[in-house]
Amino acid sequence: MEGIGFEILGALLTTILAFVVGMFFGGLNRKITARTQNRVGPPVYQNFIDLMKLQAKRTNIAHGFMGHVAPIWIIIAATTVLMFIPILHDGLWFRNLTFRGDLIFLLYMMVFGSLGMALGAGQSGNPNSAIGVSRGLSQMVGFEIPFVLALVSLMIQFQTTSIQDLMAYQHETGQWIIFANPFAFLATILSYLGMFRYSPFDIVGAPAELASGPISEFGGKYLGTVMTGGSIFTFVKLVLMVDIFFGGAGNFGTGFWGVVAGLVELVVKTFIVYLIPVFIGLVSPRFRTEQAIRFFWKWPTVFGVIAVLWAVFL
Amino acid sequence: MSNKINTIGIPTEEEIKKAQIDFSPRCTSAGRVNDKETQKMVEYILNFARKHSLFVLAYGTGCGAIEIPATMTSRYDAERFGIRGAATPRQADVLLITGYLSTKTLKRVIRVYEQMQDPKYVIAFGSCTINGGMYFDSYNTIKALDRYLPVDVYIAGCMPRPESVIKGFIKLQELIKDGNAGNGECYRDNLDWYRTNQQKIIKNWDFPDKYNW
Amino acid sequence: MNTLTIILLILTIGAAFTYFINAVNHKLTAISAFVTITIATGYFFGLAELGDQFKFALGDFSMQWGLNAFSYYFIYIVLGLSWLALLYSIAYMEGKARLGYYYGAFLLTIAGMFGVVISQDFISLFIFWEIMTWASFLLVIYNYYYNIKTEGMKYMIFSAIGAYAMLTAIVFIHHYYGTFLIGEALSKGAFSFNQHIFIPIFLLLGFGIKAAVMPFHVWAPGAYAKTPMSFTAVFSGALSKMGIFGIALVFSTYYITHNAGGFIASQILAWMGGITAVMGTIYALIQTDAKRLLAYSSVAQLGYIVVGLSTGTKLGIMAALYLAVLHAAFKGALFMVAGAVEKQAGTTDMTKISGLIKRMPWTFLVALISIITLAGVPPLGGFVGKWLIYEALITESNNYFLAIVIFFSSTAAFLYSYRFLFGLFLGQEEEETKDVKEAPVTMLIPMLMLSFVSIITGVMPGLVFNPAAKAMNALGFADTNWDMTSLSNIWGNTTDLSLIGIFIIIVFILGFAVLTLKGRKKTKSVGTKDISSSGELWKEGENWTFQQDFFKPFQRAAAPLYKFDMDKIWSDMGNALEAFFGFFRKVYTGNGQTYAIYVIAFLAILLIFKDYIFN
Repeated sequence: MEGIGFEILGALLTTILAFVVGMFFGGLNRKITARTQNRVGPPVYQNFIDLMKLQAKRTNIAHGFMGHVAPIWIIIAATTVLMFIPILHDGLWFRNLTFRGDLIFLLYMMVFGSLGMALGAGQSGNPNSAIGVSRGLSQMVGFEIPFVLALVSLMIQFQTTSIQDLMAYQHETGQWIIFANPFAFLATILSYLGMFRYSPFDIVGAPAELASGPISEFGGKYLGTVMTGGSIFTFVKLVLMVDIFFGGAGNFGTGFWGVVAGLVELVVKTFIVYLIPVFIGLVSPRFRTEQAIRFFWKWPTVFGVIAVLWAVFL
Repeated sequence: MSNKINTIGIPTEEEIKKAQIDFSPRCTSAGRVNDKETQKMVEYILNFARKHSLFVLAYGTGCGAIEIPATMTSRYDAERFGIRGAATPRQADVLLITGYLSTKTLKRVIRVYEQMQDPKYVIAFGSCTINGGMYFDSYNTIKALDRYLPVDVYIAGCMPRPESVIKGFIKLQELIKDGNAGNGECYRDNLDWYRTNQQKIIKNWDFPDKYNW
Repeated sequence: MNTLTIILLILTIGAAFTYFINAVNHKLTAISAFVTITIATGYFFGLAELGDQFKFALGDFSMQWGLNAFSYYFIYIVLGLSWLALLYSIAYMEGKARLGYYYGAFLLTIAGMFGVVISQDFISLFIFWEIMTWASFLLVIYNYYYNIKTEGMKYMIFSAIGAYAMLTAIVFIHHYYGTFLIGEALSKGAFSFNQHIFIPIFLLLGFGIKAAVMPFHVWAPGAYAKTPMSFTAVFSGALSKMGIFGIALVFSTYYITHNAGGFIASQILAWMGGITAVMGTIYALIQTDAKRLLAYSSVAQLGYIVVGLSTGTKLGIMAALYLAVLHAAFKGALFMVAGAVEKQAGTTDMTKISGLIKRMPWTFLVALISIITLAGVPPLGGFVGKWLIYEALITESNNYFLAIVIFFSSTAAFLYSYRFLFGLFLGQEEEETKDVKEAPVTMLIPMLMLSFVSIITGVMPGLVFNPAAKAMNALGFADTNWDMTSLSNIWGNTTDLSLIGIFIIIVFILGFAVLTLKGRKKTKSVGTKDISSSGELWKEGENWTFQQDFFKPFQRAAAPLYKFDMDKIWSDMGNALEAFFGFFRKVYTGNGQTYAIYVIAFLAILLIFKDYIFN
């Protein structure tokens, strides 16, 4: 039983870590946006306050069973994917379920949350939600193509579908995969712009255009849960990127300070990667949906195809 | 030619006596007793969260709405208080009544107010909500907002500058901290009174009967 | 008598009996059909064993029927799905006309499918193939009995082309290899692409038309949509798998016995499957009728199966066989859902009805589970099929771009999956559907059983892997080891499905408990009319559900893909042929003097060139 208790503790700690870091990154996003616009902006812990306020709403309104259950699907998707991504190098942090799943499973699990959200949004009966869902799904077809091309190129190049092997390769050879296959990185970071849904791909949940799209009928504790799931998911996506391309968090030796140093390095690396969508989002206007889809099928797909050819022939 | 001012909406003394309706506002934030449902410490923390994260419904009901973009943007930056815009009433806490309300708009505002979730606050901008303001003799604007919706904070002016708007939000924050804001329950308890007033002035009433159906 | 013949006799005599008993009493027709299939299924699963054989001679031809592991695997689909579909038909077809015709043709189709699967020589394969095709054609025109519409004609023409191509190939096989037995012809290299290239091409034409691969799929959307839904479950679930059965038998075994020229053949088959998957999905997204949407989606799913078959590797063939069973389960359930909605609400046009979730919750549950399986999302069974296909394409057969094409089609499948659920069940309710009731129990039970299959294979795919591995063994593949609950590829990466399933269930229960119990007294459930519509109230009879042009942005973005219209290409080809033949028709002028000139001219040519002709 000690093993099971340890595993559960590890899962909880990982989830809490992802939640805290994700929320802080959201707050940092708002702070950076504010500073770029020459104003002060909210404090970095603002997302926590928003979450507390939403959970403390005295009445909550739900639209039927699917609308009630929809935020849970996002939490399920976010935490399940979190369990399968190695946080620190092997042996330092809890292993969770990292040896039991591979990249193809992760690709499909990431969609699970959007599906649940879409069902909840559909049940609400608001046409804005339905339009938002249709736009979101169409955009998803757009950005998944370069993402899959990049991942397939990595799978071919290193003959593995598991993230541990990619991280092990980077630790053993000391070379980050971003240098081993730079086009895969380019394709991935461009498709991440679509995944994060910041400008220019934020037409899905645009407040002024669509009355915030799928989340328009969610309030109170449901909106709080959606926000939580969203922040965990942000962290998950960033850690996936860092693990695959930037070598994950370093190996500073076992022991408490080794773990802390590893976590600090992970947070720093994910923050630097996070800045790319944030800065691009700050200065960009919004694409229409078909422009967004066409964008993803042009240069990012070309980069992905070059990445696959690079992996096959080099 | 008599210089009679058109006073639809403002009852005369005889009308008040005849109708035997009490026009004084029912739900205000002055002197409310903090309910003892939960422990004081928990409520204190929750009120701290509520006051530092106010989602304002993006709804410009009248001409006072021109001051809101100025308040939200870089010079007067309302976001440092945690105030941000919300797209739908389901996500919003604060309803800003920015200026005069015609009867047509009042119907939609009531519907929007009823779709918000507790605790919800109403901030009334401008003189028109206090006593009719510039349109005091118009035939289709309302003259006193608190007969139709419970109001927490009034911001006087025509229209109030961003500094006044921020002062109004800070006053709302103080009220929240003391537990005196949020009149949703009071609105539900006095629904009959509010409905009577609303139906007097809105001629094409087509709301369903059940509250917040 | 042999088990297999007894089953065939049960089915055919049952068909005739059902047809005639309809004249006696309408209610007995459905019962007699259901009893027939129950007896046949029970008899088969109780008494038939692997290795049963039945040989007899028909004139100069020796026919051989037998049961090996490969046939046994397909009979799960044929008999299992047919049993459930007939159970479903009892309530679905209640009160309709010409029931004897319907049930008789249904049982004949099942007999035909059963015969195709147990045939071990080409003549009996062809005979049963034709029985199956013509019986299903009778059902396609069931709704249009007095006015055969285009869809029935398209199906008949394409099936005829396929059948005659198959017959030509069979005759050629006999001519070159002297045998009709499938096993012997295989080992003699009858299907190698470097000798007699047209034999495999004709066989592919025959099987491919039945399996609706591009470019022969044009009959499928109309035929699947216009047939009564209880038969479409079998039509798209089991009948299309007969084409897969043929392709697997003929091409996959070939790839392990002869490798010369195999690469080009596998690439052609693979890209045909890939293009089917993409184009089927693209056309499914824009449909407004739920039945047509499901029909196009069937075409696309069969594309995946053909891609799996074309790889010829262990994971690929397993993917194809696994997807065959799973597709029968979830597509059968989805067509049954569409039939239930059509029966209860009157139409499946998504622009006319919506918001049925409160009225038909069990139907919605079945639809939800089947759609999640279709989309391939873990933890249900569809994910296993997708995993197998991707691993086969990436790790074993190095067909990387096809993997991307399949992934594109799979992602676009999310679009029409959501559309199906949203269009029928979510959104605001229509006034006309106020009195819609849940589907009757005899319709719900088969749907729930099929969704149970989808659920259980998600956590324990080994239940399907073991029979499929035996089937692959019978085809000639080496013995392979399959784990009950986890998947592994040749690079050593595993995915443990039971853990995933358990984790998801635990998180769901925890999350549901927290979300429901916190603030329970203060949560209000409101209807779909109470939405934040800028303060406006709805008027009577208005429905604000967004149904028209649901995926217009995607249509605009992918506009070049939509310009490719296979229907138009075929009809253009048909018109050109008609003009060409019209030219030849003019030879028969009906004028005796013209015929006299023909005869004299022919004799003159003979006389003039007699030296050259007769030397």
